Amino acid sequence: MYRLAKLLALSSVILSGVAWAVRPPGQTTQVDFRVFPGLAMMDGNWAALFAASDGKIYAGLAYHGGDGHLVYYDSKTDRMHDVGNVTALCGESILKRGPQSKIHARFGEGKDGRVYFGTHAGYWWDYARFGTKEGYPGAHWMAYDPKTGRVEDFGLACPNEGINTGAYDPVWNRIYGLTHPRGHFVYYDAARRVAVDKGRINNFESICRTIGIDDTGNAYGSFGEGQVFKYDPRTDRIIELPLRLPVRPKGISLGRDYDKSETAWRVVVWDDETKKFYGVDESATILFSFNPRSGEVRRLGQLCIPGFEERRDVPYATLSLTLAGDRKLYYAAAGREFDYSGSAEPATSHLISYDLKTGKTEDRGEILLPDGRRVLGTNAATTGPDGTIYLVGAIEVRPEGGKPVEAAGKIGNVYYRLAMLIFHPDA
Amino acid sequence: MSTTDWRCSYFIRTRDFGFIMRVQQTLLIVAVLAASAQPLRSQRDRGYDSSVVSQVRIDLRELGYPPIDVIPSDESAIRALAVAPDGRLYGATSGEHSHLFLLDPQHGYVEPLGTLAGARAVHHSLVVGQAGEVYIGTALAVENNAQGYEHYLGGHLLKYVPAEDTARNGIRIEKACPVVDLGIPSKGQGIYALTIDRSRGVIYGLTYPDGEFFSYQFHPGAVKIYGRVATNIMPGEKFENEKAIGRALALDQDGNVFTSGEGGRFYRFDVKTQQLEHLEIGVPAVPGREVYNRVDAWTADVDGNLYGGTSDGYLFRLNPARLAVVNFGKPLNQYRIRGLVLAHNGKLYGIGGDDDEMARLFSYDPASGLYELLGMIDVNRRPYYSWQGYVFDAMEIGLDGTVYMGQAERKSKLFLYYPQ
Repeated sequence: MYRLAKLLALSSVILSGVAWAVRPPGQTTQVDFRVFPGLAMMDGNWAALFAASDGKIYAGLAYHGGDGHLVYYDSKTDRMHDVGNVTALCGESILKRGPQSKIHARFGEGKDGRVYFGTHAGYWWDYARFGTKEGYPGAHWMAYDPKTGRVEDFGLACPNEGINTGAYDPVWNRIYGLTHPRGHFVYYDAARRVAVDKGRINNFESICRTIGIDDTGNAYGSFGEGQVFKYDPRTDRIIELPLRLPVRPKGISLGRDYDKSETAWRVVVWDDETKKFYGVDESATILFSFNPRSGEVRRLGQLCIPGFEERRDVPYATLSLTLAGDRKLYYAAAGREFDYSGSAEPATSHLISYDLKTGKTEDRGEILLPDGRRVLGTNAATTGPDGTIYLVGAIEVRPEGGKPVEAAGKIGNVYYRLAMLIFHPDA
Repeated sequence: MSTTDWRCSYFIRTRDFGFIMRVQQTLLIVAVLAASAQPLRSQRDRGYDSSVVSQVRIDLRELGYPPIDVIPSDESAIRALAVAPDGRLYGATSGEHSHLFLLDPQHGYVEPLGTLAGARAVHHSLVVGQAGEVYIGTALAVENNAQGYEHYLGGHLLKYVPAEDTARNGIRIEKACPVVDLGIPSKGQGIYALTIDRSRGVIYGLTYPDGEFFSYQFHPGAVKIYGRVATNIMPGEKFENEKAIGRALALDQDGNVFTSGEGGRFYRFDVKTQQLEHLEIGVPAVPGREVYNRVDAWTADVDGNLYGGTSDGYLFRLNPARLAVVNFGKPLNQYRIRGLVLAHNGKLYGIGGDDDEMARLFSYDPASGLYELLGMIDVNRRPYYSWQGYVFDAMEIGLDGTVYMGQAERKSKLFLYYPQ
């Protein structure tokens, strides 16, 4: 044990030395931010962030044990809007059952201008309430219409289950999802107003967190041990592709949640120029490209904070990856294992970029607010039509004497709340 | 606390490597030594362990040899299992295509035997003859409100003879299983359940969607239909189109066959009179729900008693000679008992839970009258990490006492349970 500890300590020194050498000392990335007024108790956000073509930035705010909220930030008027309590939007407030605590998956914009999404639960109570009268009734498929300000509820997506992962395809006008806990591939065909359950894809602990959709409407996800499946809307069939993603074998990490998947991609983004997906794996934040036409998967590097590359305690990958107009991928890397209030201690996120033109990875340093407060972690990123990058995550809250603390909880001993972060790449 | 991080109370607080970059080497060594002295807790939490079947008593098998020679997703739902007189376990899957597979306990792994031509469902319709020949009843689909049956020619009774399958080596996933087609027992009907009377050389069956009861005599290979166990659609909404057909058949020691049918009543095929009889005794049910209730699974003890599980989740004993039913109540706050076996330790083991519930395993000791709730069914070991089974639809016991449980989802595995 002593030898192992010594080895770990020395390797940490060496690697951290390398990490600091590649980045100018003291470099940080300053971001602007907007909090969610009246919603300080919202405790998490995963994937649910989307920049629509009209400049509105939609976010799903999670509230474990209570009702999640759908909000949007109007970048033209610089105002944050609360569309509403998701349980109420689903018409389920009277049920007194498991609430609609989250939008836990990506939004998408239809050709009709509506923003499509699916809902999700917060707690699962070790599945003791699964399928019971007090348990979660199930996710709903929905669409928000910015022209009317109204949400349409398309109904139940999957009884007793939530939409853990989702994506909208404007080509076929469908919302896709992977359910929790049973890992089913489901979709709602908004054009035909039909909900479909294609059955189980994977196990609950390794449901990939992003469905990638190419420019023709094929949907992709990962499963098993770094494998990839493809759903073709033309045939309505799922096939398992003979591909392997560059993932680190599960079981290496220390201190990570046992049930946290480490065998799938965490996030992918589609690049219309190269017709490829770019993504990171969950375990070691390995950056890869995936060409769905040729089937080629290439390892491009790692987007973790420099120094963590070979370490066993490389933080679990975040969902904060976006492709910006400057042909760079921007990724907000966690400073340590991050999961909002489930995090053991606070650490500051870094902004990492990868230039698709040059293949160069750059650590842009800790992400800080203008007043010096830290960004303690994020799990969603999107690029607006004007090139602005938006993230949602946990920002540090510093108590002020005599005032109540407006926070969702604590990470370690530090209060945090959710905020939308705003970054201009060319600034 | 994202969904995949739903038990995050076991982060190791002392292992904060994040600050290592900012301190001196001496402090680093001290810190890492301190961290290393802490117990590693990257296992799932003990609280959850208590809600699932004991992990030293359960295991699973892939349906073949991954990644290629394995029954694929969408074709792997196990809805029929049968143990041969020599101890071999046979299974049949449902989905886009049905496959037959074999597990020889001495070998330990599942061997896919090929696809069953034209079959998409094998529901509780797998029996093995005295010489080890396997009989398979196929269907288009079951419990789908009879969709597609208006143009269906009918499910086939197939026979697989292991001794004649001489080319068994090699990958069989894409190949047809070499079977003999014994014909369609009832035109336009799928086969819903089978049982076999090895001593008399006869197979009995039920059809879907109309609940016809038939026999197939090995010699001369003739089918006879005796009537229906249900004629009317169960009360329900306009989209519902199901009859209350028992989901399984039981053979008593005299050669009579039992199932359930319309109105939640037992049906008996009397082997002496060769008549299908509607009995006045009913399947245990919540009063008022009799019409929806049916027998999901059967097993028998050495004294000739039949034990059954119902769609409402009750366990009962039927004395076939006296036609006396004892209701043992519900082991679970759930619908369905979809599998039932009598283990070598004298206990009954069963699986409860409907398609949209969480399957759970239980035992019942007829000697003491005690239930034991064994928990949700998962296997927590590499490379699975809590592979959960939510839906099971077949259960058998091997000659060595191993309980086999067939997962019935799009992506399914064969579970093995080892009773104490």
